[in-house]
Amino acid sequence: MDVPETVTTALEDRPVAGATCLEAGAGVGNTTAGLLDAGARRVYAVTNDADHARTVRERVGPGGPDESDRAALLEADLRDLPLADDSVDVITAHGLFNVLPPESLDAVASELTRVAESDCHLVVDDYAPLPDDAEMRDLFSVEDAATELADGRPALTFYPPAALRRLFAGYGWVFDRRRTLLDPVPWTESHVEAHAEVARSAAERLPDELGGPLCEEADRLVESIGEESVGEMYSVAMRLAEE
Amino acid sequence: METRSLGDTGHESSVLTFGAIALNWLEQDGADQMVELLLDRGVNHFDVAPTYGDAELKLGPKLRQHREDIFLGCKTQARDYDGARRKLERSLDRLGVETIDLYQVHGLEYDEELDTITGEDGALEAFRDARDEGLIDHIGLTSHGNPQLILDAMNRIDDLETVMFPLNPVVVGKDGEDHDYEAVLERADEQNVGTLGIKAFAEGPWPPTDELPEADRPYANWYEPVDTPAEIEERFDFAAAQGLTSVVSPGDPKLVAMVLDAARRYDGMDESAQRSLVERLRHDESPVPEQLHH
Ligand SMILES: C[S@@+](CC[C@H](N)C(=O)[O-])C[C@H]1O[C@@H](n2cnc3c(N)ncnc32)[C@H](O)[C@@H]1O
Repeated sequence: MDVPETVTTALEDRPVAGATCLEAGAGVGNTTAGLLDAGARRVYAVTNDADHARTVRERVGPGGPDESDRAALLEADLRDLPLADDSVDVITAHGLFNVLPPESLDAVASELTRVAESDCHLVVDDYAPLPDDAEMRDLFSVEDAATELADGRPALTFYPPAALRRLFAGYGWVFDRRRTLLDPVPWTESHVEAHAEVARSAAERLPDELGGPLCEEADRLVESIGEESVGEMYSVAMRLAEE
Repeated sequence: METRSLGDTGHESSVLTFGAIALNWLEQDGADQMVELLLDRGVNHFDVAPTYGDAELKLGPKLRQHREDIFLGCKTQARDYDGARRKLERSLDRLGVETIDLYQVHGLEYDEELDTITGEDGALEAFRDARDEGLIDHIGLTSHGNPQLILDAMNRIDDLETVMFPLNPVVVGKDGEDHDYEAVLERADEQNVGTLGIKAFAEGPWPPTDELPEADRPYANWYEPVDTPAEIEERFDFAAAQGLTSVVSPGDPKLVAMVLDAARRYDGMDESAQRSLVERLRHDESPVPEQLHH
């Protein structure tokens, strides 16, 4: 399967070959595949989503497109990892933080730090907050409003890179480098539709007078946006300071 | 317009090469005007073939008038000595010129063909004899076939000076040997072989003919092209930024003016913008919105 250039670009200057890696938030397994491609000795791919776990298991499992005996899929919570202290050399969080609500940031950062070796590398790839005039920003607002009302937490939070740097600095991580992975970020029709769908399905769980207008606004935005290339996807690399 | 060294040929090619198949769809007056326009805007590398309908004949008059200003590439699909020689003489005759600057093996597709052209009585022997006689100056190869075959050809043909192959963001986004034209580009750079990019403007294959008959296609290209100024510009910028010597213009004359404009304004493309284009097309290609992220 193809490894996206966002992933290869984020990993190309990291010492992945021969390393024990943790892919925090495995999603559909793009970064897991990228780490395997780059010669990781072992990749622990962690997700708390059963569908994602199955997808990644099929992808790296026997007969899958990225079959490898170096990958292990762990269905677990990043706030409570089934991994030993000081056990991984490279940690990746590609597109993870935008799905983490602010209140879980500390628990995740602290747990990632616990499992990190003393000179571990951390790569955090994510989206910068969108500019005010981006229509996609309106769609994300509707998505967040609907999920916040339905589930008590927003679907997405876009953290500025400096915020995540400071978060990890508090746990002893030292900034290494920053790269721009995508500028602009191409929100294609399929992205627009997928985010609208998250908004609609949350809105449907709300009372009609609340959910109805949110659904309508999501539909209107899909029509109006079509596709939009806007914003930045960044990659911040850090190292755990030697103790 | 920016120019770049075409490998070891000693020629500085404009970053846009004119794919002269476009002339096939114009009357002679229109063809003459198009050549004048291209020259005026700084295009100095033209590429033609005997299989492009009347293109050689229609290029002839202006080519002869401006022979010194045009680096002329031509090519043949003949794989044997006699066939290649006959095709070369016919092209010289139809173009009405004494020499062709770059003569290319056209559309290499199979391993056996490579054996034939490099073997005894193969096309390359005819190319070399013609070069000794001064009928051609340089030898090149074109292929939209497997990148591994092109790499193999570069290994086996010592005096190969240019390669022409597909390069666009869709191809770059695909992993695996069968799409690895970037490896061809890399090797060509190492060996100082000139590189000419085709299919830079391809959007995708045409719909099947039972949905859209050939006669109802809006463009004469082999593939469905992108056709807005913004898309043309980003595709041109992308191809030129990969490091190709020159990007070949699409086959339909309706698109040439837009491409010319993009080529004249070319001044590089940020890597993050290149990746953005690759990502956008990668998601366009995937049939279901399987993912919310990049
Ligand atoms: C957008 S995806 C990441 C994409 C992935 N890194 C890739 O390269 O394809 C986010 C992933 O993080 C997972 N995730 C979010 N919060 C989590 C948590 N608290 N514990 C474990 N996994 C979590 C989600 O289930 C999802 O699989």
